Amino acid sequence: MGSAQRNGDLARLIEAVAGGDQAALRALYDQAAPKLLGIVLRILRDRGAAEDTLQEVFVRIWQRAGSYDSRAGAPLVWLVAIARNGAIDRLRQEKAARLTQVEEGWLERLPDLGDGEGDLARRDALAHCLGTVEVPQRECLVLAYCEGWSREELAARFGCPANTVKTWLRRGLISLRGCLEAA
Amino acid sequence: MSTPHSWPDDPDGTAGEYVLGTLPPEERAAFARALDGDAGLRALVANWEARLAPLAVATPSVAPSPATWAGIAARTGGTPGAVAGGAQIIRLERAARRWRVAAMGAGALAAGLALWIAAGPRPAGEGAQYLAVVDRGGALPALIVRVDLGSGLVQVRSLAAETPPDRSLELWYVGAGAAPRSLGLVTDASARLPVPAALRQGAEGASLAVSVEPKGGSPTGSPTGPVIYSGKLVRD
Repeated sequence: MGSAQRNGDLARLIEAVAGGDQAALRALYDQAAPKLLGIVLRILRDRGAAEDTLQEVFVRIWQRAGSYDSRAGAPLVWLVAIARNGAIDRLRQEKAARLTQVEEGWLERLPDLGDGEGDLARRDALAHCLGTVEVPQRECLVLAYCEGWSREELAARFGCPANTVKTWLRRGLISLRGCLEAA
Repeated sequence: MSTPHSWPDDPDGTAGEYVLGTLPPEERAAFARALDGDAGLRALVANWEARLAPLAVATPSVAPSPATWAGIAARTGGTPGAVAGGAQIIRLERAARRWRVAAMGAGALAAGLALWIAAGPRPAGEGAQYLAVVDRGGALPALIVRVDLGSGLVQVRSLAAETPPDRSLELWYVGAGAAPRSLGLVTDASARLPVPAALRQGAEGASLAVSVEPKGGSPTGSPTGPVIYSGKLVRD
């Protein structure tokens, strides 16, 4: 299975990086950086800030590779988490309000991603389960996760208090978890 | 400003919002700190990361510019000589951490070191202790230095530090923004040297370095030869 082999490759590279092997860091960068930059750029929407953050992300990967435990999760999930955390932290530090434009089509893009990335079964389950979450909750989840929208930005978009957004987010998460666990 | 945090009431929802990125900044920072000491919360976060990751992976890839890798290489020790001061410290901290990991694993040398650290003399004094792994950039430390402010001693353990013929290795203490101060010569066996006054006032953020000097030590009181090892003090 392609994704299993790819995960194995990434896990071995992370292990080598933990041993201080910079060539392995380069190989990991070649494999993962374009995907991670895409993710970070979608959140930050500024190429310079995104490339800066990508640098921080790989320095962090270099520092923390020793803490990666392949039994605890897939390597790509670990890498994505570091990248997203870097992007979100940077976004929240920048006080200036940003223009939030909705990019449509997240849900549609999920099933027809044909380049062998990730785990097919999980992806299909997530697409199915997101589809079962009520509309405003689902949009909040997707805009927050994919584009880094804050509670306040979501509240402005939906014309409701931030506390309502919080409630939507938490209810949306509960629905999603319930569906994924039943799947 | 002490708004109550929601995670005791709703740990899974808070973990989910942490992963989404929607916790208010103050709560996000507090939650991130709580994660360090709470394996249960970390597991909740890991579950959400795994559940949602396919959505992130669906994002189209973007090729980074070549300068981005160059920056990473410079900050992870890939281009010797081109390393900025801040990056050097990161690398040295990493070296120390890697050694600690190594000491927990197999390997006679590493195991011996771990034992020495665990069973090494611990003076009765309550003063702060610092441990420095003085590293050459490789996987194994060349020197281990323990600074004990309680007993007023610096303890040096030399690990195959190769002394060039007709030269001496000299250990220096470098305080933040201060001139290097000699701690004495590094001998092959473990050596104990008195802690200088500057160091007693608290060694946080200081580093240690070893330079190659003429036999018997630097004639000037400052390092004259190349610095072959350097390491940052970390609290033991």
